Amino acid sequence: MLWYKSWLETRSRFFIGLALVICSAVGVVLLYPKVQQLLVTLPGTELGGEIGRKVREAALLASDYRGYIWSQWYRQNLIQLWTIFAVILGAGGLVSQMSGGGALFTLSLPASRREHVIVRAAAGLAELFILALVPSLLIPVLSPAVGQSYAVADALVHALCLFVAGTVFFSLAFLLSTVFTDVWRPLLLALCAAAVLALAEQFVDGLWRYGVIGTMSGERYFRGGGLPWAGLVISAAVSASLIYLASTNLARRDF
Amino acid sequence: MAEPLAIETVELRKHYDGMEALRGLTLAVPKGSIFGFLGRNGAGKTTTIKVLLGMARPSGGDARVFGLAARDEQASVEIRRRTGFVSDDKELYPYFTVGEMVRFTAAFYPRWRTELEARYLRAFELPADRKVKALSHGMRTKLALLLAFCRGAELLVLDEPTSGLDPAMTEEVLQALVSHVAREEMTVFFSSHQIAEVDQIADRVAIIDRGRTVVSGGLDDLRERYCRIQFVFDGDAPEHAFRAPGVERTRRKGRVLTVTSSAGSSALVDEARALRPVSIDVTPIALKDIFLETVITEEA
Repeated sequence: MLWYKSWLETRSRFFIGLALVICSAVGVVLLYPKVQQLLVTLPGTELGGEIGRKVREAALLASDYRGYIWSQWYRQNLIQLWTIFAVILGAGGLVSQMSGGGALFTLSLPASRREHVIVRAAAGLAELFILALVPSLLIPVLSPAVGQSYAVADALVHALCLFVAGTVFFSLAFLLSTVFTDVWRPLLLALCAAAVLALAEQFVDGLWRYGVIGTMSGERYFRGGGLPWAGLVISAAVSASLIYLASTNLARRDF
Repeated sequence: MAEPLAIETVELRKHYDGMEALRGLTLAVPKGSIFGFLGRNGAGKTTTIKVLLGMARPSGGDARVFGLAARDEQASVEIRRRTGFVSDDKELYPYFTVGEMVRFTAAFYPRWRTELEARYLRAFELPADRKVKALSHGMRTKLALLLAFCRGAELLVLDEPTSGLDPAMTEEVLQALVSHVAREEMTVFFSSHQIAEVDQIADRVAIIDRGRTVVSGGLDDLRERYCRIQFVFDGDAPEHAFRAPGVERTRRKGRVLTVTSSAGSSALVDEARALRPVSIDVTPIALKDIFLETVITEEA
């Protein structure tokens, strides 16, 4: 029944997130013909430096459907939306329910605090997995509508990379929620951490390849380098450690 | 042979950020009793309950429920399996309906009393399809009581069960509690700062102040032991340090010397005769006066 409680507590956040990522998937597929038209009219850019390189790379990627989907969606829109909802689903829980949420009632039930943590973490991770899988599978389903095709295997691999690496942000918000009594500080701190990490991976050479954001985007796989095993393993280990810390913190906390 | 205890604490201590919430609290709650746990706001009642149910860790001393150590995680789960609890805030899950709340709670208790559930849903007029957040405070209290009553628990722990209720609702809740306990064999441990309700339903009490037990015992026994003795003298009342046991408080005002005793009156009266009072008046005192006398003495 703790599962049911976790589900009821998070279902509205989950459904909002699911609706948004689905809209994003539909939008990105249906906009492809429009982007193609725009690309033809785009004058050849002679911009130099990093900006010029990025513009040329974006145009090049967008000229091919697989590259367009990866650069527009997996590397940008989905990562941003999904990270926000990973943090939103990770925030909350027993500590923030001390005022008005029935935390004392929950703690009076014959369940250990570790059980509470495990169930809440598992429920949140299951929701996040669906948030990664469903919109990814929509891409191959919707692609024929614009006269294109997209491999289901590619969609599955990108969903896996997004989910495994992105759970770091869920787990960070989850841990912070056992420290702070409100919902806002865990949310803001975890989102700030994600933003700082994204910037660092952009500007520090080599970090993108092994960092969380780079792994979430599945760039290595997209460019034919196979699964980003190192990034996936590191992310999973960091996530597990953060959830373990959350469990330990909750176990020693007074209510 | 000693009475079997449902709850026992010995020199229980709890610190919160440098503040001492419990300072060596010792309690013994016999099985089958209705135990009133009295104290002012901030005396340590809720902290004690939280320690007993594993919601807060003790800083020192020992707390046991059914003989199980409350500080042990696994034992604590077992304690909660055998205990019904109503918190001071009566907060439940606002997004659940009454029916969902009942089904959710029932799933944790193999000995859940379905027939009691139906009876209390009717008696408390709780609409199964209404959201908890739409219930009044009184209705939420009744739902919290139902959830505690139906667990098939051996012990009910109620933290200020009538706080925030109007007098009519308070009476209704107390009557429900008394008739439930009359039907079921259980121990009730309830905290309150409402002396009248403790007087109405408890058979044993403990009064705590600033984290320590200052009075404990059977209510009838306390009523028998505690009395106020008024000595009137010809002139100003003499200053006298009584040697008789149980002197809780002494007050001199003009010709009158008033002594509050927790050990009956005979030894005091015998001792006071040497002071040659012109009259001696012994009056029993109510629980409210015992509470005020002990708590004020502690403050002094």
